[in-house]
Amino acid sequence: MDELYLDNIDEYVNDHNKIVTYKWLSLTLGVHVNTAKQMLYHYLDHKRKESSAQLHATYLVSGKFVDNGQTSHKVSVVREDQLEDFKAKMSLVVSVHVYSVQRALLRDSGPLYAVDYDAVKDNLKNCSRYSAIHCASAVPMSSVELQQAREVQQAPTPEAENKKAGMNGDTSPVLKSSAKPPKGIMGMFANKSAPKSQDNTKEMKPEKKEDIEAPKSKPVAKANPVANFFGTQTLKKPEKPVKEEEAPQSSSRAAQQHERSKPEEKQETVAPVEPQIDTKKDSRSKTKRLEDSDGEEEKMEKKKRRRIKKPEPDSSDEDVIPDSPQPVVTREPSSPSPKKEVEPDRHSHPSSSEMKIRKRRQVMKSHTFLDDDGCMVTEKGYVSESYSESEDDFKPSKQASRDPIKAKPSSSKEDEKKTQKKASANSNKGAKQASIMGFFQKK
Amino acid sequence: MTTLTRQDLNFGQVVADILCEFLEVAIHLILYVREVYPSGIFQKRKKYNVPVQMSCHPELNQYIQDTLHCIKPLIEKNDAEKVVVVIMDKEHHPVERFVFEISQPPLLSISSDTLLSHVEQLLRAFILKISVCDAVLNSNPPGNNCYLHVLVTLMCLPLQDFPWIVADEQEVHMQEPRLIPLKTMTSDIVKMQLYVEERAQKT
Repeated sequence: MDELYLDNIDEYVNDHNKIVTYKWLSLTLGVHVNTAKQMLYHYLDHKRKESSAQLHATYLVSGKFVDNGQTSHKVSVVREDQLEDFKAKMSLVVSVHVYSVQRALLRDSGPLYAVDYDAVKDNLKNCSRYSAIHCASAVPMSSVELQQAREVQQAPTPEAENKKAGMNGDTSPVLKSSAKPPKGIMGMFANKSAPKSQDNTKEMKPEKKEDIEAPKSKPVAKANPVANFFGTQTLKKPEKPVKEEEAPQSSSRAAQQHERSKPEEKQETVAPVEPQIDTKKDSRSKTKRLEDSDGEEEKMEKKKRRRIKKPEPDSSDEDVIPDSPQPVVTREPSSPSPKKEVEPDRHSHPSSSEMKIRKRRQVMKSHTFLDDDGCMVTEKGYVSESYSESEDDFKPSKQASRDPIKAKPSSSKEDEKKTQKKASANSNKGAKQASIMGFFQKK
Repeated sequence: MTTLTRQDLNFGQVVADILCEFLEVAIHLILYVREVYPSGIFQKRKKYNVPVQMSCHPELNQYIQDTLHCIKPLIEKNDAEKVVVVIMDKEHHPVERFVFEISQPPLLSISSDTLLSHVEQLLRAFILKISVCDAVLNSNPPGNNCYLHVLVTLMCLPLQDFPWIVADEQEVHMQEPRLIPLKTMTSDIVKMQLYVEERAQKT
């Protein structure tokens, strides 16, 4: 072997005071890694014989290690003074070679990594050219294949995130203790989503429905802050059908319903006004939810359907508000069909208007439909248990809103409508936000 | 190619931030490598994509951070010529002085998008050099009475609103110093040189 490499290594180690690892040497001199290892060994041996300036070396030891009856293959980088002890502990030594040579005594392995980091970074595209690890099928992809691979990667990454969140959820107790608070935007999301999810879980627990989701919401909240941002919205969604179902059934939980009614109202106002956003939420629920997202959607749709159907049998019930058609039962209008149902309900409701003392959810719905004359009519329904007076106010207001065009000559009616609507709006403000901006103001 | 002047304070702040971050990492590493404090108080952290050692002791960390916080405005205005980490023996005589000479070009020119990654690479080399400075330095005298001082040599009048004190002559002057250069870097945004002044006889 040419002896020039000894002078090269000597220059690097003594003159430049570098840490010379076998990987760095192979990339610098352009030789195979095994050759580099032999070079370092010969250099070390040569210098030790000359007993010149003190040199330190690290070795890579790999072999079988028995620990508590379990055999494992261990690969370690050890200092020279620890080498013999380490070899003695191993049951079978497979390979020992020089890892690095330097003048300084290293206290930890950090500098070794830093040396290789820069060397690999400078030769990024061919860092394994001189490597001893080869795979025949490991061939660089062409640009076309690379693009296809990127497109494929974009699709499964959301699923991978769900899986990751699921796995993190399973080990959440450990993660909570050791996880550091995320910084910046991620931290902002994490802080926001954590209390929201906790509030939602508190509300859901008494209902004893979707209990599975409740514990998962917390680990999801902490493990994946980005998903939480969407996760909180998806959590609210299942609350809607659940609560809507229970509302007509339970009359004893007045206080709880009252508490629920407020967030629900906000949700309900969002839903009818912007049905498109609901679909987006559904899509988010598909990607971000860990469980059967499709199953959830089906459940929600079924519940929606149930809700739509319910008003008909409930029309005879006294719980539903009199005049305000759909708002009573808190439907989510996704099509004209609920609007049609609203009309017959409206007729049936007035009879039961007087009773209601039962505390129910408060829903405000705004429906736009074409009446018989082809007029576009927008109806607003608002129900509040505490506002029994407002219910009466709504009756005339809705009747007036039916025929906006026809009512033109009767300006007095319009004035009444406006004043009543204002009154109702004012009364509504106390309970919930009825406008489209409510969605944005939530944020 | 964008050319900025010193008046562009945003960029000056960026450069000062980079330098102060680096100085914090370097000071912690010097304390670890020169065994000023027991190695048990240090833990492995990551900076510039490489592992570095950082102290966990809150008061020590706070002291270093406060000092650098005061130095930052001086670096911003290019008023700080040197930042020196002095290791003293129990008689308050300096044993080693790690001198960071810093200068910034008056006209900063951002020549490429890879400027910051290039600077990161250079700073990484500084960190590596500090890690192996043991080889060129004699070991410090044993004992727990090693102190850390940060001295700033100003090119202009010192700030009046900060409690600076003029360093004692005995803390500055070193007997029979030996100069050991460690690393030099030149980039578009900063020029820095690190060398060590070591007392010939430490014990």
